[in-house]
Amino acid sequence: MTDLELILQTVLNSLIASSFTAIFAVGLVLIFGIMQIVNFAHGALYMVGAYATWYLYAEVGLPFFASIVLATLLTMAIGLLMERALFRPMRGNLFGGLIVSVGMMFVLEVLVVYLFGQGLMKNMTPYFKESWHAFGIESVTISHSRLFVFAIAAFILVTFWLFMSRTRLGWAMRACAQNPEAAALQGIGIGKISMLAMAISAAMAGMGGAVMSPLVRITPQMGHPVLVTAFIVMIVGGMGSIEGALIAAVAYSFFHTFVTTYIGGEIATILGLALMLLVLIVKPTGIMGARESV
Amino acid sequence: MKSSITRRKFMAATGGVAAGLTALGATPSKVFAGEKTVKIGFLAALTGDAAGWGLPGLYGVEIWAEQINAAGGLEMGGEKYMVEIISYDDEFDAVKATVGAKKLLFEDEVSIVLMLGVTPVLAVKDFMTRNKMLTTTLVPTDISADAPYLFAPVEVHPFYNVTAVDYIARNMPHIKTAAIATQNDELGLSSLATYRAAFEVAGIEIIEENLFGFEVTDFAPVVSKLIAANPDVITWDTAYPDYVNLLTEQAFLQGYKGQFVNCTLDQYDHILSKTSVEFLEGFLWQFPDLDDPIMQGPDTHFDNAAAFYKTYAERYPGAWTAVSWEYAAALEMWRAAVAAAGTFDPPTVAEQLRTLSPVPHAFGDAEWWGEQFFGVNSAALGKWPVVQMQNGKAVIVEMGDVRAWCDQHLDVLKKHFVELGVPLAG
Amino acid sequence: MSRRTCLNAAGIAVVLAVICVLPFVVRPYQLDFLIFLFINVILVVSYRLIAITGEFSLAHAVIMGVGAYASALLASLPISPWISMPLGGVAAAVIAYILSFPLFRMKGFYFLIGSFAAAEAIRLCWVQFNDPFGGFRGLRGIPVLEIDLGDLLYLDLGAPVPYYFFAMIVGLIFLTVMYRIEHSRFGFVFHAVHHKDTLAQSVGVDVRRYRTIAFVTGGFFAGIAGAMLAHYVTAINPGLFGLKQMLFVLVWVLVGGLGHFAGPIIGVTVLSIIDESLRGLDELRPGFYGLVLIATMLFLPDGLVSLPRKVMQWLVWLRKRGEGALARRE
Repeated sequence: MTDLELILQTVLNSLIASSFTAIFAVGLVLIFGIMQIVNFAHGALYMVGAYATWYLYAEVGLPFFASIVLATLLTMAIGLLMERALFRPMRGNLFGGLIVSVGMMFVLEVLVVYLFGQGLMKNMTPYFKESWHAFGIESVTISHSRLFVFAIAAFILVTFWLFMSRTRLGWAMRACAQNPEAAALQGIGIGKISMLAMAISAAMAGMGGAVMSPLVRITPQMGHPVLVTAFIVMIVGGMGSIEGALIAAVAYSFFHTFVTTYIGGEIATILGLALMLLVLIVKPTGIMGARESV
Repeated sequence: MKSSITRRKFMAATGGVAAGLTALGATPSKVFAGEKTVKIGFLAALTGDAAGWGLPGLYGVEIWAEQINAAGGLEMGGEKYMVEIISYDDEFDAVKATVGAKKLLFEDEVSIVLMLGVTPVLAVKDFMTRNKMLTTTLVPTDISADAPYLFAPVEVHPFYNVTAVDYIARNMPHIKTAAIATQNDELGLSSLATYRAAFEVAGIEIIEENLFGFEVTDFAPVVSKLIAANPDVITWDTAYPDYVNLLTEQAFLQGYKGQFVNCTLDQYDHILSKTSVEFLEGFLWQFPDLDDPIMQGPDTHFDNAAAFYKTYAERYPGAWTAVSWEYAAALEMWRAAVAAAGTFDPPTVAEQLRTLSPVPHAFGDAEWWGEQFFGVNSAALGKWPVVQMQNGKAVIVEMGDVRAWCDQHLDVLKKHFVELGVPLAG
Repeated sequence: MSRRTCLNAAGIAVVLAVICVLPFVVRPYQLDFLIFLFINVILVVSYRLIAITGEFSLAHAVIMGVGAYASALLASLPISPWISMPLGGVAAAVIAYILSFPLFRMKGFYFLIGSFAAAEAIRLCWVQFNDPFGGFRGLRGIPVLEIDLGDLLYLDLGAPVPYYFFAMIVGLIFLTVMYRIEHSRFGFVFHAVHHKDTLAQSVGVDVRRYRTIAFVTGGFFAGIAGAMLAHYVTAINPGLFGLKQMLFVLVWVLVGGLGHFAGPIIGVTVLSIIDESLRGLDELRPGFYGLVLIATMLFLPDGLVSLPRKVMQWLVWLRKRGEGALARRE
């Protein structure tokens, strides 16, 4: 493998990482924008999506795509339940919301331990077993499972963008994120919008978990590192800013992947934290954030 | 799904709540009415990130106890005793371990405490010494001269890793270069030092190293860099079992064709189905299946190894790992010392254990070792198997002599430990 | 003296009496549990001191660790633990003061995450630098406290019962001090800074200065709590002061109730006892803990401390409803 090929391989690795980080972080940012709640259970929803896919596909034997759809619907249902029972009474209460979501995280994690046991990761034979030799170069390879993650993430993000920019409901959602009181005065039902936002956010987390399940370790704690990454992305991008989160997700993923490849994984994480601190000190509202939240 | 409701879970769900709420810190355990019992303490992580190193071990010692009890109990001084396992979740936390140790010693009056290692062990070490409690750890770097009752009776991690590299040096002369990736922690670093020493002795050059942190979700970049160096052999060192799983799969997907040597290859059935039988053929690692014919032979010391393995595999399908049997193997050794001592009294048993020669280690006769390294001979070192993947099945190809290697190349080993800044003793 | 104060005084007297008798009735390991509870009480009350100024820090557990590490390292010089412990508190306060410069540029969630990142950076230093921090394994063999007056008196405070009383006395002194701080002029400003940020500013209160004072003072007490932990367990490591521990502090404070001085104390006590009594559940334990968190936040938004008032309200409501139903029937 030549140096150039390694660079190409790393660019492809970064793109895959970006796509996943983006859908995960956008879901988190969406909830924060609409409800001012930092959902610590977002990682747990991702975990539930992965477990559900593993169980339905590898254990029950359903088709892979049906498993993904069912897993997504399941996380969506859990998300809606959380919105009605937990987040609605806590709306605007940053720390109350934080605590109930931490509680929910414990509950979901223990639930999968209860159902499926604790131990080593759950395994599934990937639906896609082949790899793609990028541009016909023998040593630059990307597995089809990864390409699938990229395709699904891109599809979700484009659909989400069209929804937010082209539909009335999308506009109402943006209005809510910008100024809930004004939106309420305009006759936009904040309750309905919150439920919609939670459904979208949970579905993004769940589907992220579903498509990532063949690639990652499926364990009850699998959501923790992803959540920390998403926080970094959220801060660097500016709280509540979806565009900012997208840009930050791509930038951070490229940064992290390149440092991991050329220097080392541990250093990449430390530098990531340092980068976030720097952004917080120099421009506490993030690269895209204008207003001070909370 | 095969294992959703087990006996343990059922007990936990029904009796557990009631039992837990009635008494502060009560553990639901089988009560043997009217029979003599001996209690064994299990102090390791049952929840949280480290649970994967504790909980499967608890399952293992429970099966071990069941087998003993089914055979009428443990014999000591001509009488039979029922074995009772009492667990306390230390959450891999020093404070919880402190409380747990006090409970097991003063409340339950256990005769031995089984622990995982590192921080919880360091936290309770002095307490255990003061109270003369026989304690075992799976991490030999925990032992030290000021803790005479602390033993590393089973694992001599990471020293046994040298045997597979030694096997390569003797049998695969075409291998000249190596690449290493592992997580940057206590286990990973001490193992890295050992592999560096082993490769140096074997005359194999290390051309690439990558240390990663805990929060890795995607191993593609790590593997890309390793393969780019074009090594003859790759090792994941002592990466956590799940990491080994994902790293190996990633190497397969990125088209690696060379040899592997590694500390573990847990759940290899799953790795086989993710990759291929041809890809894994020849993979070398250190942990056999206990139903291996050699493990049933007269040179090893684990009673009913095959039956133990079978029960475990049936009750917890796909959950078999190294820690599944290691805590139980420590108990096997303890049983031998108890039989010789004729008492359960922990300091007496500890003394007896120390005088055993040879030490009946699960993998064969061993001796207490460690003086030159840790300042005390409290780690059982002897033979350790080299396991190879042959047609999709783990096969012991050789019983390597770890002690001979370590005695011969001690200075090389020490040099690499010092170079990496890994502390030699707890 | 009003009836309310009398009741309060009587309540405190009863609690004190129970605390003094406890070590002679409970089992040894439960004594340890109580000692760690006392240390955690100091931790949460000092956290509340910061939180009442309106900012929630995720650095508190690491600040506590600074106290623990500083005192342990000083004691190995060797300096008597009696001196190293307060110095540990001072070290924690100094680190808190340094952190306050970048951190108080931020507010709300930014502050929360910023304090987390800063704390994590300190924690990673402990992990990375084997010398002097001991890396992942941390420090071991930290000396215990002793009272050695020659022939007159020798007391090994490493034993549970003496340390229990030591922790209790130190805890009570600190609680009194913190209570006095909160009810002093400073304390009133702290509250003002929280509730009427801009108003306080407009009447000439330097909000940032008061937040810094609260942050540093809270840090000092957390540092002492850390040193008390270190000299009892005799071994510390970076894992003890991680995000998990920090989340627990936050949960204890909020579930107990931030609005009242007793809130965090009640929170940490009740939740610790629940956690410990669920041990029989092994790996399922965190789930029940999670349910308790959710239930408290939903039904007692002001925390457990508001439970008696809530119960009274329910009783009044029930009685009224009963009367109402009767009235309608007539």
